[in-house]
Amino acid sequence: MCWMQRRNCWMAASSYVMYLKRLQSCLSIHDVKSIMAHLVVPNSATLHLIRRFLDQRELFVDAPGPVVLEFHPQWAHMEPVALAAIAAWGAWWRSQGKTIEVRNLSNHTRYAARMHLFEHLGVNYNPEQVEHEEAGRFLPIRQISAREGVGPVIGDISALLHLDDDPESLAAVQYCVSELLRNVLEHSGSPNGAFVCAHRYTTGAPHRVSIAVADCGQGIATHLGGVHPEALASDSVALGLAMRPGVTGARPGPYGTADNAGAGLFITRCIAKGTGGYFALASGHAGFRQRRSKKANDEIRLFVDPYDDPRHDKFEFAEGWHGTVVGLEIRTEKIADYDGFFQWIFKQIPSRRKRGKIKFS
Amino acid sequence: MSTNILILASASGFAEDKEAAKQLRLTKILPALETGDSVTLDFASVKYATQSFIHALIGEPLRRYQQRALDHLEFKNCSPQLKSLVELVVDYSLGGFAEEPVSNKSRKVSKKSR
Repeated sequence: MCWMQRRNCWMAASSYVMYLKRLQSCLSIHDVKSIMAHLVVPNSATLHLIRRFLDQRELFVDAPGPVVLEFHPQWAHMEPVALAAIAAWGAWWRSQGKTIEVRNLSNHTRYAARMHLFEHLGVNYNPEQVEHEEAGRFLPIRQISAREGVGPVIGDISALLHLDDDPESLAAVQYCVSELLRNVLEHSGSPNGAFVCAHRYTTGAPHRVSIAVADCGQGIATHLGGVHPEALASDSVALGLAMRPGVTGARPGPYGTADNAGAGLFITRCIAKGTGGYFALASGHAGFRQRRSKKANDEIRLFVDPYDDPRHDKFEFAEGWHGTVVGLEIRTEKIADYDGFFQWIFKQIPSRRKRGKIKFS
Repeated sequence: MSTNILILASASGFAEDKEAAKQLRLTKILPALETGDSVTLDFASVKYATQSFIHALIGEPLRRYQQRALDHLEFKNCSPQLKSLVELVVDYSLGGFAEEPVSNKSRKVSKKSR
């Protein structure tokens, strides 16, 4: 064999070895990916695309090694619902003794850093921030583990979201944050409590405040199932029950308990609906989303049964969310359309009308 | 005899602390109603409240004493939002939630014209 033939032979062999190595590398990546917990942040993680964000198969896969949070390589448009969910997810994994490995950190993840996401993940990532005070209309992610933590968050909303000059919108945001946080603290059994964040959008239409609260607790079906066995039929049934008034998993009773009436989630949904904003709820394998209104009439009619609302979507997730995620929008420009937004909301809620006179003075 | 209770709120006038409401209910409202006293709830410093807060305050007294509780309770200095909220809690505490919202039956709305 001449040297030329020997060289060709060697090159062919080395190419084959390289090919094998590459193949092995691909296979090992695939193997690792399929057995590790992995959350992929798509280029748009919003209420509009909540299904795509939550319908991931490897969120809670228990396997050796780190847990991976992977941002889209080029773009990441994230709304509070995604940020709160990721923070809850990361905190849950950290409480299981895992570390979070973040991939594709770059300019497009600065917003997540500004919302303090990485602090909650235990990841040291502090890109240089240029603070824009006027544009900084957001409530960064907060972890609330006890009832005492709710008040300070409520107190900060006005200043952080710049809602001082819009008292009805401020009250609506405070209302929703309070009810959602207390729901988690009282009913979820989440060892890490609740994660909340919000953002006020004032530059593009629609003007709105987007709010999200997430936990990795027992989920709605398990909680309600103790009192309402029908909730155990499916996560979708449980979600439907949780969004009706008068359904609480706290204790059996005709109209709730001394401390819970089971109307918080219903009224919160009505607040979003009344302003024509999104409302999304996901727990276990089920997801519900009330879409934005297209016309004013969409906002007027409130539905006791959320599944009667023609502008709703039901989702089934293959793997599901271990806990509960709530995201909603309050369209601040719409609140101005009401002569007393809250009075209107409360008067739409079905309740007995015949009773003695209430003494107001 | 009458018991006056000043309801406290946050700096922005928002009352949502259910624990505080529960304490008022257990230590002041229920004992007063038990002895047949009247109770005045003064909302002078409250502009908005959550339904959970008002429920924690008066839900149990209403369910326990029904109409008698309503006769002995007075709601002072309520904002329009609080009035409608108190009405809501009184209504469902005495009679539960109905199946359909009022708007679905009457289609009456109080939205401003656009």
